[in-house]
Amino acid sequence: MTAAVSYAEPLTAPAHPVIALRGLGRRFGAVEALADVSFSIRAGEFVAIMGPSGSGKTTLLNILSCLDRPTDGEYLLDGIATANMDEAEQARIRREKIGLVFQQFHLIPYLTALENLMLAQHYHSVADAAAARAALERVGLGHRAGHRPSQLSGGEQQRVCIARALINEPALILADEPTGNLDEANERTIMDLFRELHREGRTIVLVTHNPAFGEVAERTIRLAHGRLEAER
Amino acid sequence: MASGNAMFARILWRSLTVRAGRVGVALAALAVGAAVVSALLSLYLDIKVKMGEELRAYGANFVVSPADPGARGIAVDTLSRAVAAVPGGKLVGASPALYGVVRLDQGNAVLAGVDFPGLRKVSPYWQVEGAWVGVAFDDRNAMVGRKLAEAMDIRLGDALDVLGESEKARVTVKGIVESGDAEDEQLFVSLPLAQRLLNLPGRADFALLSVAVEGGEADALAAAIDAAAPGVSAKPLRRISESDGVILDKIDGLMAVVAAFILVMTTLCVNATLTAMVAERAPEIGLAKALGADHRAIVAQFLGETALISVAGTLLGLLLGFGLAQVLGQAVFGAWVGFRALVVPVTLIAAMATALAAAIVPVRRAVRIAPARVLRGE
Ligand SMILES: Nc1ncnc2c1ncn2[C@@H]1O[C@H](COP(=O)(O)OP(=O)(O)OP(=O)(O)O)[C@@H](O)[C@H]1O
Ligand SMILES: [Mg+2]
Repeated sequence: MTAAVSYAEPLTAPAHPVIALRGLGRRFGAVEALADVSFSIRAGEFVAIMGPSGSGKTTLLNILSCLDRPTDGEYLLDGIATANMDEAEQARIRREKIGLVFQQFHLIPYLTALENLMLAQHYHSVADAAAARAALERVGLGHRAGHRPSQLSGGEQQRVCIARALINEPALILADEPTGNLDEANERTIMDLFRELHREGRTIVLVTHNPAFGEVAERTIRLAHGRLEAER
Repeated sequence: MASGNAMFARILWRSLTVRAGRVGVALAALAVGAAVVSALLSLYLDIKVKMGEELRAYGANFVVSPADPGARGIAVDTLSRAVAAVPGGKLVGASPALYGVVRLDQGNAVLAGVDFPGLRKVSPYWQVEGAWVGVAFDDRNAMVGRKLAEAMDIRLGDALDVLGESEKARVTVKGIVESGDAEDEQLFVSLPLAQRLLNLPGRADFALLSVAVEGGEADALAAAIDAAAPGVSAKPLRRISESDGVILDKIDGLMAVVAAFILVMTTLCVNATLTAMVAERAPEIGLAKALGADHRAIVAQFLGETALISVAGTLLGLLLGFGLAQVLGQAVFGAWVGFRALVVPVTLIAAMATALAAAIVPVRRAVRIAPARVLRGE
């Protein structure tokens, strides 16, 4: 079986945007976490989402990854409306179209780096050790495949997390403060990795507090109090 | 290259071994449940038969006598035909009996002519000093009731001169019997000898039978005997037959109640353990959902783990249960309990059903976990 991963070729951009938001809102009871958010993201774009704490960045990312639903407005993913999807369809979207990178990595502690990747393959379709190994090599951790998360540094764990996000070839990579728990050296490694992924043509939406990431990204969307503040 | 199923098995195995403590508790609970259920089932399937024998050991449960109550005795051939009407395998033992009065050196005594091997099966509870007379046609040996022996100072090995209607005989005392009943005052000799002494050739008064029947079958069997041997009347000895059935039914009921109680306790214990496991693993379940696992995948993983635990627990429980069955068998019935294959599938099904019932609520809870919440550490 050949690994379905080919990192060198840029993905060709489809005509419609990967993400299209129209008047999106999310209320938690009285708290209006998001209000009237509209923007679209084309395939291959690298977008940074910035804003102060509590401005709704994570809330927005949860909606984009179909872990949460908007209370107002529309979210089209790959041109398909997500509003009326049931939980099974949302799960299918998550495993087929989205790769998630977390601030806390969320690796399973009792599985090795390789097995953590294979777990994502298992939920997606079928575990494939060769493809998982190739993905680890892609993030420079081929030699740590048999190590548990506790045996890896924070930066290495985040690279495993990124490899896991890539393993099923998602259309969209969503990252919530991927360097929030890392020191400067590791931050730089991760940033370089995202830069490469962007160069390969991947669509990336990344929440960050770090202005340096804002420089790396093509476009920055700023949120304040749940509303779009500015776009660069 | 690892296949999908191998990965599934690996996740199951790792997630079980990493929580050995909790898994151990659930496994132990299921093992105890399976042990008690399989032990009771073994007792039920194996001992029940032995228990029936044990209860029949308290004596004859059928008497076959002449249909005409005024008649003096009945032909032994007719009695044999009556005994032959009992279906094979159900007859534990039978003995004819012919009574009369004879004269011994020190006075009169009641003489009973019997079939010694048959009588021994019908009266296994008799206490015998010395030995039973081994064969039916032994006219040299006799057995003497304890009270009669004491009254006439008869000892084992003594020679007795017995004077009947027209004949006399000399017999050796081979055994002294104690039944706690009228037999204690009687002299037992073989039926042919009694017939000669009493001058009643080919006759007997009645026959005592021990038959393996449960309450309801007794009347039908009596009717069958009456039909097979005209001139006789077969009567179940009610007290014993019925108490047989009643005791067995009560014990069945008791076992069922204990088994049900234990299974409920097992369910509660496994349920508590699985609930704790789901709470502990909420982040992991949230992650699985974020990675795109649907409800089916999550249910499959939890039920897979539960099934693995319950199979392991059942196997352990079957071993423990077989040992427990021996302990109970020895303590209560004084018998070893044989292995019955049926115990394995029934216990497995009971344990699986228990584990499944215990898993329903925790699995629903796992399925309802909201990934966005647990992943941010709420
Ligand atoms: N499940 C929830 N229930 C109630 N309120 C919520 C919930 N999730 C988020 N909020 C509220 O919505 C607002 C936006 O939260 P969000 O987590 O999106 O902020 P953020 O921009 O990611 O902040 P940070 O930079 O600190 O991560 C906050 O006021 C928060 O309290
Ligand atoms: Mg946040």
